[in-house]
This record gives sequence, structure tokens and C-alpha cells, in this order.
Amino acid sequence: MGQTVTARSYKPFLSKRLRENLKGYLFILPWLIALLVFNAYPILASLYFALTDYNVLSPPVWSGLNNFQAMFTTDPLFWKAVWNTIYYSLLSVPLQLLFALLLALLLNGRSWGIGIFRTLYYLPGLMPAVATALLWYVLLDPRLGLINSGLTALGLPRLGWMRSADWSKPALILIAVWSGSGVPMLIFLAGLRDIPKTLLEAATIDGATAWKRFWYVVLPLLSPTIFFNLLIGIISSFQVFTVAFIASEASGSGNNVGPLNSMLMYMIHLYRNAFRYYQMGYASALALLMLIVLLLLALLLARSSSLWVHYEAGERA
Amino acid sequence: MAQVDKRNRANGINRRDFLRWSGLTGGSLFLVACAAPAAPAAQPAGGESAAPAAAPSAEQTTISWWNQFSSATTQEVFPVVVGQFEELYPDVKVEFEISGGPPGGGDYIEVLLARIAAGNPPDTITLWTPPSQFGAQGALVAIDDFMANAKWAKPDAFFEGPLKSCQWNGSTYGLPASAGAGSIFVNADKFAEAGISAARADFPTTWAGLQELSAQFTKWEGGDLKQAGIVPWAAGWLKPVWSALNGGQLFDADANTYAVDSPQNAEWLGEWVTWLDAEYEGDVEKLNFYGTWGSAYADGAFQLGLSAMTLDGSWACTDAEIPFAWEVMPFPVGPSGSQSVTGFWPNWWAMPKGTPHPDEGFLFSEFLCTEGWITWYQSVMDTPAWKAFPEGVLTKKLVDTVGEERAQEIHNFYAAQLEHTAAMWNSPIEDFASDTLDAAIDEVLHKTKSPAEALAEVQASVEAKLQERLAG
Repeated sequence: MGQTVTARSYKPFLSKRLRENLKGYLFILPWLIALLVFNAYPILASLYFALTDYNVLSPPVWSGLNNFQAMFTTDPLFWKAVWNTIYYSLLSVPLQLLFALLLALLLNGRSWGIGIFRTLYYLPGLMPAVATALLWYVLLDPRLGLINSGLTALGLPRLGWMRSADWSKPALILIAVWSGSGVPMLIFLAGLRDIPKTLLEAATIDGATAWKRFWYVVLPLLSPTIFFNLLIGIISSFQVFTVAFIASEASGSGNNVGPLNSMLMYMIHLYRNAFRYYQMGYASALALLMLIVLLLLALLLARSSSLWVHYEAGERA
Repeated sequence: MAQVDKRNRANGINRRDFLRWSGLTGGSLFLVACAAPAAPAAQPAGGESAAPAAAPSAEQTTISWWNQFSSATTQEVFPVVVGQFEELYPDVKVEFEISGGPPGGGDYIEVLLARIAAGNPPDTITLWTPPSQFGAQGALVAIDDFMANAKWAKPDAFFEGPLKSCQWNGSTYGLPASAGAGSIFVNADKFAEAGISAARADFPTTWAGLQELSAQFTKWEGGDLKQAGIVPWAAGWLKPVWSALNGGQLFDADANTYAVDSPQNAEWLGEWVTWLDAEYEGDVEKLNFYGTWGSAYADGAFQLGLSAMTLDGSWACTDAEIPFAWEVMPFPVGPSGSQSVTGFWPNWWAMPKGTPHPDEGFLFSEFLCTEGWITWYQSVMDTPAWKAFPEGVLTKKLVDTVGEERAQEIHNFYAAQLEHTAAMWNSPIEDFASDTLDAAIDEVLHKTKSPAEALAEVQASVEAKLQERLAG
């Protein structure tokens, strides 16, 4: 009896499952604290700052929707930054995906040395953005750059690239396609590997040409991968910053972000308001607007996916 | 099971013990780290101070100095200057590093503002952004009382223009150490080849004369620009100078108002458009195709032999290492102007709000901006803003390159230039206004807007921002 009582008195206060959970939480506690302090708090604080007049040095003063009103009515560069970013996104994302898909299709074979080519095409994505910008700045130099030398050799006119209001954004898009296609290419490769060979063989037996196999079998089965790459591409393109920032600094446009502010992307505008003009409240409002727009775009894309994304098991997104 | 336990004991430590001891060790280290005193004094990156370290007295005060310097020359020279200060004031020790940013890394201004906001700023700082702007934001200590009792840095000890760049609303928020004056650099070899005198006395005194001179050097061949004379709009920091040369002004600090849309300024931009049309086929992008026009440094069109003249500050006399014969010229006067003026780009010293040692911080700021600058000036021709700068002190590199007599003449030229400066770096919204005007000038030169239209928009924009700042 006494032994039974002793045994009962040792019964732990918490159940085994709860203790295990507790241990798990303790293990992730440092990460959780960092997430709350360095991510969650700044995000929530910036939501509040977006509704205030705040310059870092003085306490924020509540200003309601004034920052948003100023954004749409008095900020001379807001619409310019919006237009530049939309232009860049509309062209860079499809081109990146197209280029990545083409590369993935080319590199999906089993020929000798294919691994080396996959690595080579992935490498630009690993290059730091600052180095990428400077490399392309030299390549695209209007007078001495390799790209214009190539154009001249082909009998084409030389272009102003980053020193031209018309060509600076295409220059950025070119850089984006070069440096940003590696990762989606790898994801496309993984997607291509997942396509059952039996389906392709069946299509071949039925007399489908290579194009028809691609169009009616490969592409639909690759649509979930396209959906993922598209979503990530859109989000990244809206956040373009480093390359445009460095390229414009190097292009000798003074305090303009490229000729006629043609490389003034939304994030650069936000950065300048925050860290050059110290208008943290306004910059927070710009950030909040960006968040809302990206959320809406993601939702729109997710809703539209039911029309064009096909899953092997017959489910739709 | 028992065997396992024995094995663990035989090994001297089991998994639980290991975790326990790891936790205790980690926790102890954490506590020690938390309790550790402030980081040890940052060592000068450029080596030891020239002056012998004074023995710390019982009441020695340690102050911190933040700066953005990073070049090899600054790493070499500033530790020497700090050594001189510590020798002069043995009870003050200066902690600093020459690493291009704040101790610990990060963006200089971001970290600085965060530290001011958090109440633990450094004692003294070097700024490349005017104190007027930061003073208006409430980031800096007003130093007028310190200056009144200063040994060297009395209010009348500095050139008026550079000192005004430290003032806002009647208070002084910093000191100008240097006031590197702007000037026109000419390639004397090209002038000689063209049979044109490169003597300062023969240089044009009006914009029309300068344009005529420039046109003599500008050469187009088959639609390609082979050589330019001068591109006057290429150095953005000199905007207030061009405005003042034509009798205009951008910001009136006394009246706290902008005057961007004045007729003189519209005329100034109109003159540039005319210049662009007459000399550069009216196409600013085609012109920019060929290079960077507003710099005397190695990567600019001037040193590449693509232009006969350029615009830069006095520091370029030594820093740019120009490989051919050159001369510096004053700015000519615009059609509505009356006298030549120059611009300046200082290194400012200031004390952040909340500085723990304002007295010692001011002593250091004062020394660097007066006596201490003598040592710096001997290395780089960064014209001093201190009027009592001793005669005969020259930049060694310049003396080695052009000889003592000519070095003295160039020094005298820049010192005289600083007597007549455009009002600049004096607005509480300096960066915003400068960016907005730059964008407008770009639009005018791209011919998307007329000068009057562009300047009216700038005026509305900056005046609204100014009122916002004044109200806040």
C-alpha cells in the first residue's frame, strides 16, 4: 500500500504529451523570441507608424490617413515609382519564367556534362546583388561596354542603357532575367522530373508531336510549379531594390534614380523617404500599401489558379 | 538498463549531465556577457597616434567620436590629429575608429539617429549632411554658448557661408572644419594646344563668355562627340552657386522660405537649355552617353581627355591626381548676376542631442575644426573654414606636384573664393529640396518641362514640405 502511495506521489504534474510539447516549445523559444522582437514587433509598429507623423527623433504624432492622402495627391514621385515598378514587374517576371522554363527543358536531358551546365546556369543567382549591378553596369556602358560592342558588330545602334530614360528599365529587366532565372529553373527541373514518363510515352504512341506533348502534357502538369514561381516572382519583382539602387548610383544621375528617375522603384522611394528624408511615418504607409497590394495580387492569383493550375491527382488549387 | 547507467557513469558524464553543464556554462557566459563593461576603446585603424599617450589622470574623461571616414589618408592622419588633441587635453581620451561607419557597422545616419533616439549617442560626430537639417530635427545640441567662450571657435572665426550651413532658426548646431570650395578645372595642355590662354586673368567672367570658350573645344565627328568644352550642369552640388551667379537664391534661411521659382532661376535654367542646344545637339542623353562630366577624378571625362573643363572642389587638386597641366578658375557671372561666388562642401563637426560629455565633446569639435585641421590640410587640400588658419601651411602633395609658389597661389585662390559664397546647405529639408530640384533640372534638360513650369512645381513641393517641417 505504502509502495502504491509512493508511486502515485511520483506521478508527474504534467502529462507526458504536455511535457514533450513543452520541451519542443522551449527548443524553439529563442527563435520565437527573435521572431516576435525582430519581425512581429517591427511589422506591427510600422502599421501604427503608417498612421502617424514620425521622424525617429520625436515621438510619433497621430495623423490618421494623412500619409495615404499625401501619397496619392502631393508626392511628386509616388506615381512615377509605381509606374516604374509595374513596368519592371510586367516584363521581368514573364521573361524570367520563360527563360527559366526554356533552360529547364534544355537541361532536363541525361547527356554528358549536364550537371555542369545546370550549375553554370544556376550560378548567377548566387552572385551578390551589388556585384551583379556593378558587373552589368560595366557590360552596359554605352561607350565601352561589351553589349554595345556586340550591337555595333551586328550593325545595330548603340543604346544608352542606364544613362537613358527609355533604356534603363529594360537594362534592369535584362539583369533580372540573367540573375533571377537560376532558382526558378531548378524548381522547373524538379517539376519536369515529377511528370510521369508513362503519360509522355502514351502521348508519343498516340502520335503526339514534341510540341503537342509539351503543350498538352508537360505544361498542364507543370502548372503548379509555374503557379509557385509566378507568385514568388511577382513578390520579388515588387521588392526590387539593390540592383536599381546601385546601378543608378553608378550611372552618374546625381540624386536622381536614373535619368528622369526612370529607375526609381517603389522600394527605393520607400527607402529614400525613410532613411534620407527621415519620414518614417510616410515610409511605413508606403510599406503598408505595398503589403496590401501584394496580398491582393496573391489572392487574385490563388483564385485564378483554379482555372489554369492542374494537379496530377485531378485536384485543383 | 543498469548496465547503460553504469557505462554512462564509467564515462564520467551522461547525456543529462552534459546538457545540464552545457546549460550552466552557456547561462554563465550569457550573464558575463550581459554584465561586461562597455566595449574597449576602439583602436585607430591607421596605427598608433604620433603623440605620446598621456598618462590617464584620476579624472580622465573618455569621449566617443563617430565619423564616416575610411580612406587610407584618413586612417593615417586622423589618429595623429586625435593624438595632438589628447596631448593638449590630457584629461580627455577619444575613442574612435576610422572604418567608414559607426562602431559595430551599419548605416551611419541610421545608427546615429537610433542612438540619439534611444538616448545613448556618441559625444561628437562628423557629418557629411548639413547640421542645419539635423538641428532642425532636434538631433543636435546648439553650441552658441560654447562658441561664445571658445578658445578658437568664436562665432566670427569662420567664413560666413560655411558657418551658416550649421545654423537654423538663430542657433548654431555644428562647426565647419573644411569648406572645400568649388571651382572650374581647366586642362591647360588642351588650352595650349588650342592656342588659348589658360591664365586666370584671361578666363571668361560671364556665362556668355564661358559658353563661347566651351564651344571652341567641343568637337563632333560623324554624329559622335569627340570632345566637350564644359558641361555646366554636371555637378549637382553646385546648384545654389549657379543660382547665386545669376542673382538668384534657392533657400532664404533668414526668412525661412524657398525662392526656387524666381525669374533669375528660370533664366539660369533657360541658359542651360540654350547651351545644350547650341553645343550638344539639344540631347542631354546623347551627351551623357559619353561619360561623367562633373568630376576631375580618374573616371571622369576630364581626365579621360573628353572634356577641356570640368567642375570640382578644391580637394580634387590633390585627391584626383590629375595627370596633366591644369588650372583652377572662378565661376563666371550670369546675365542677371553681379559677382562671382563659389560653393563649398564641408566636413561638419557636431554634438548629438543627449551627449554625455558636451564640454569635452565641444573641445574636440573645436580643435578638429581649427588647430587640428592644419594637420589634415597638409595631407588633403580640403580648404579650411577657419579664417585664422595660419599662413604658409600648404598641402604637401600639392607642393610636391606643382611647387611651393604655385601651391601657395592655389591656396590663396580658394581662400579668397570663400569670402563670397552662395547660401547653401542651410535648409531644414536640404536633402528633399535638393532631390526635388535635381529631378526638375533633369526634366528641363530632357525638355519634358519648361524651366518656369518645372521650378514652379519644385517651389510648391518644397515649400509644402518646409511648412510641414516647421509645423512639426
